[in-house]
Amino acid sequence: MDTSAFNSVWWIFALPVFGFLWQCLAGKIVIDNLGDKLGKRIMGASAVLPIAAAFFIAVDLTGKLHSMPAESRSVVLTLFDWINIQSLHVPFEFRVDALSMMMVLIITGIGSLIHLYATGYMAEEKDYPRFFTYLNLFVAAMLVLVLGNNLVLTFIGWEGVGLCSYLLIGFWYKDVANSKAANKAFIVNRIGDFGFTIGMFLLIAQVTLDRNIIGITDPRWLSFDVLLPHADVLFKINPEITTMAALALFVGAMGKSAQFPLYLWLPDAMAGPTPVSALIHAATMVTSGVFLLNRMSPVFAAAPQAGAVIAIIGAATSLLGALIAFGQTDIKKVLAFSTVSQLGYMFIGCGVGAYWAGMFHVTTHAFFKALLFLGAGAVIHAMAHDQDMRNYGGLWKFLKITGATMLVGWAAIAGFPYLSGFFSKEEILGAAVNSDTVLHLGGYMWSTGQVAGWIGFVVAFLTAAYMTRMTLLTFFSGEGRWKTIAAGHGHDHDHEHGHHDAHAHAHHHEDPHGFFYSDAEMHARAVAEPHEHHHALDSHHVPKEVPPSMWMPLAVLAVLSLVGGAWLKYGVNLEHWLYPGAEAAEHAERVSHPMLLGISFTVFLAGVGFGFWKYAKGLPADEGWDLSLWKRWRTSAGRQFGIDAALTDGSLKGGAMLGAFLAGIDKWLIDGVVNASGRVAELAGGLLSRTQRGYVRGYALLMQAGVVALIFYVIYQLSHLGAGN
Amino acid sequence: MNYTIPTVDWSLVLPFALVALTGIVALIIETAHPKRDNGLIIGVSLTGLAATFVLLLTQLVLPPARTFGNMVLRDQFSVLLQLICVAATAVCFMFSDGYLREKKIAFGEFYPLTLWALSGAMVMVSTDNLLMLFVGLEILSIALYCLAGMSRSEARSEESALKYFLLGAFASAFLLYGIAFLFGASGSMSLPDIQKAVTGLTRDTLPMPVFGVMLVLVGLGFKASLVPFHQWTPDVYQGAPTNVTAFMAAVSKVAAFGALARVLVAAAPLHQYWFEALYWIAIATMCIGNLVALVQKDVKRALGYSSIAHAGYLLVALLAYTRDPDKVSLGTTVFYLIGYAAMTVGAFAVVSLAAKGDRDGSRYQDLHGLYRRAPFATVMLVLFLSSLIGIPPTVGFFGKQLIFLDALRTGLVPLAIVLAVNSAVSAYYYLQIMVAAFVSEEGAARPVSRKPGAGMTIGVCVCAAGVIFASLLGGYVQETTRTAALQAKPVPGRVQNQMEVINR
Repeated sequence: MDTSAFNSVWWIFALPVFGFLWQCLAGKIVIDNLGDKLGKRIMGASAVLPIAAAFFIAVDLTGKLHSMPAESRSVVLTLFDWINIQSLHVPFEFRVDALSMMMVLIITGIGSLIHLYATGYMAEEKDYPRFFTYLNLFVAAMLVLVLGNNLVLTFIGWEGVGLCSYLLIGFWYKDVANSKAANKAFIVNRIGDFGFTIGMFLLIAQVTLDRNIIGITDPRWLSFDVLLPHADVLFKINPEITTMAALALFVGAMGKSAQFPLYLWLPDAMAGPTPVSALIHAATMVTSGVFLLNRMSPVFAAAPQAGAVIAIIGAATSLLGALIAFGQTDIKKVLAFSTVSQLGYMFIGCGVGAYWAGMFHVTTHAFFKALLFLGAGAVIHAMAHDQDMRNYGGLWKFLKITGATMLVGWAAIAGFPYLSGFFSKEEILGAAVNSDTVLHLGGYMWSTGQVAGWIGFVVAFLTAAYMTRMTLLTFFSGEGRWKTIAAGHGHDHDHEHGHHDAHAHAHHHEDPHGFFYSDAEMHARAVAEPHEHHHALDSHHVPKEVPPSMWMPLAVLAVLSLVGGAWLKYGVNLEHWLYPGAEAAEHAERVSHPMLLGISFTVFLAGVGFGFWKYAKGLPADEGWDLSLWKRWRTSAGRQFGIDAALTDGSLKGGAMLGAFLAGIDKWLIDGVVNASGRVAELAGGLLSRTQRGYVRGYALLMQAGVVALIFYVIYQLSHLGAGN
Repeated sequence: MNYTIPTVDWSLVLPFALVALTGIVALIIETAHPKRDNGLIIGVSLTGLAATFVLLLTQLVLPPARTFGNMVLRDQFSVLLQLICVAATAVCFMFSDGYLREKKIAFGEFYPLTLWALSGAMVMVSTDNLLMLFVGLEILSIALYCLAGMSRSEARSEESALKYFLLGAFASAFLLYGIAFLFGASGSMSLPDIQKAVTGLTRDTLPMPVFGVMLVLVGLGFKASLVPFHQWTPDVYQGAPTNVTAFMAAVSKVAAFGALARVLVAAAPLHQYWFEALYWIAIATMCIGNLVALVQKDVKRALGYSSIAHAGYLLVALLAYTRDPDKVSLGTTVFYLIGYAAMTVGAFAVVSLAAKGDRDGSRYQDLHGLYRRAPFATVMLVLFLSSLIGIPPTVGFFGKQLIFLDALRTGLVPLAIVLAVNSAVSAYYYLQIMVAAFVSEEGAARPVSRKPGAGMTIGVCVCAAGVIFASLLGGYVQETTRTAALQAKPVPGRVQNQMEVINR
């Protein structure tokens, strides 16, 4: 097949790479020579442009793909031979198909909007080019992840986005809390990546063992276009191993996509700048787990048990995230837990076999969650970098554009009928409650798919409620509460202290060290130069609408959140577009479509109604500043029900205990044996050296004794053996 | 009387004749200019040694030959061992001048005496006649007795000379007694004749040759410092001037093992009567050498015990060879001797730098600050000690590996294990020496000593080259000795001995 029409896919990858190189090599020079304002404008534009150009190329490629017959909509392009050993070739190859292009469109499209937003949001930042260096590199790595045509390339992208996520969470690294959040994200992801590699090697082992049975002769057998067509036969030879491999890959997805119990890095990741939260920790990177499940769907299809586990873990995650969101007062934290919750939805979809529905929700979620995060960023920007919703209220009067667009986002995520979130959620929950996904465990069959679906409806109610809470507390619910703050000192911020963006703006001085500070150093610095609260929130603050570079992306995303779902469902026919071969098998329709619609409407109305009832009048006293008035469950939700602390402390203390135990073994047993053998040797040497007393007569005596011994030995041998021959 | 005067092939005796003559010339120079600059003597000596070395190299490819009524034998085994002795002596000469000056030993006699000792060692390895062997041994020993006591100002040096002399005489008595027994049993002093004579003996005729072999082994075991005839070694190594110790450790050991190899090969028909004894002697030698070295406070003493341990390793190689000459080669022994000579002489050469004034500082703390003073030599010391430990890629590693494999191949598994364990144990005291040399501060009592001269540097370089590149010779040495060590082939009769039968 002539693939030259698709050669421009290399540009999609190359443009962000060039952008990355340009930012990191030329950024400082440009800004130093052209001045802060012009330099930043140039660097900002040159950060947005490559991503936007890549987006248009991707649109073009998708159009070409669309014009091809459905069964041949998959093009593989090879750049160079990367790994070439005896019977295995792993080329550096990209795959252009519906799934990868869909992700590419999300990454470059929403990515360029967020880049544009960030040029405004980060305008005061001193390390401007460093931010865009990381951001462009992230886009490049994410593109490798989704475009790679084999698991090895996917893994490169997987690690690349993990690295960029780490770098961006810790972007304001002078604040130790941010560095610790970055470390946490990186370390928790390590667990997931370990699962990914194990899954990958289990698959490789299966292929190498059974390759001849299947008859794969192509040495590129790690490539998807060679491997996956054989999947339904190959992975049914050893179903147990396939299930293990699928679960191991899912562990990888759990790490990246923040599923319980590996979700706990994502809330902390909000320490990064808000555009990062929108792009990486809402729209793209955290959905790469869902992408992986879609990409490897033949493997997961061959492992229905793994699917049942995935569905129930997804449901648990979504429920947990929604509950915890009620206990949060930091607007970004609410959105973070909402992301955790929505990611759970996506995994419910994948778990019950509706992979396309998972991808559908990835897309719509990218629209409305990016919108909400960017909107939250705009609010934070307008509110002097205060993130506590208890200080907001009545912002609608000041922030019309932000408020309007965020209202669209709220409606979309809450499940307002016929907005984007509504459709994708509907598809997932419909597939789940009608699914026959069962888990065989302990001799029973657990219909985890249906349970997950019903949990999903509960979560839909909760989502509508907590999103209404957030929206009302921010934009409505009476007059602005920040006006009650006495000038000069804010409310007693009793939790989530060091995570505020505001901290970064106190650091406008040179960084003499270049990187990390120890706790002691940080303390010393804090003493030496106290935090300048040069624009802290106080009663005289007047919120101002954000500049166009920031609200324009909001507007675009709002439009997408409004109509994107309907367009993808009816305009594109996403299910057919993604999985043309497998038309939706007609379910037994135990729960009919109209009934589902009815339930959805009901839970939406109930959730929103509850929210209005509770929050329309203003900040309720039982979740205000006085924490002692909080209900126990809400306090507990605020602390993530202690899961984070338990897991973190447990692993730290457990690790320390294990380390101490092993150190003890090392010290007492191994060192003991080693040292004892040394002692024994020395002791023996000491005793033996006693025989050496320096007297010639002694030496001669020993010689004589030796001779006598030899003579006796010879006499014994002679008498014993006789003449041997 | 019908006696034909034998024709003499002078080329066979030329190497040690040349060395002895060089010694005489050196002595004449010394008497002409007593206690003056020794440069001329060193020049003449090194020239003579170089000529000998080249001559021996040309003889390496010649077929085995005998002369002087079979009293002198030249085969590849003897030529290789002589090459080692000559090279080791040359290196000793290279670093001696600086050392002797430092210690203010004004004797020019050192050079002629050492040359004569060398000629004795060369005679020892170039014969398979017990009488010649004894003559060579005595030439070597008597010169060494004088050399050990060369540092007149040091009581320890005198003491070591006297100890060495008394115990050496004692051991010589055993050797002579054994030779007499063997002569009585076979009517010959020639080892091949003895080998033939002791094959197929009866119960009545057995005791005499068996006792004879045993007593000869005692005499040679003393020279090779095998336990329990080893106790002179640390005292003499410590007391003798360091350059003499280096010579003694290398040349004397090479000669002793050359002779021991020939005697054991000749005694192979009596294998069952001595093998077990030597087996235990090897174990004792390895263990005692290394264990006692652990607690030493003196570098030269520690290296003395180390040389005992290495004698144990060498004995393992010999035992493996005599046990099954078809499977393994005598080349292992020769190869190990090459490496041993290089690393030992090198180590002693660097240690000699610790001398200050008229006394021999050789305690561990006397090495402190050596790296500051002589960085190159100290780094080389690390190399030599690594080789003594047996760290790849040094010759010490490959030598030990060959012995280890030989022992495994011939079924001497316990010896192989003891060898490996001892190698690990030995690392401790060798590393101690290294550490001492790198401790930065020099003892307060020790003002700055002389910087090492060019001779030291060249000598150390020669040894380092040996330690690094001798590994490449492994295959060649194995092959040469296998094809050409004519006299080292045991007779086939020994397959009947009982141990073999049991092992099958």
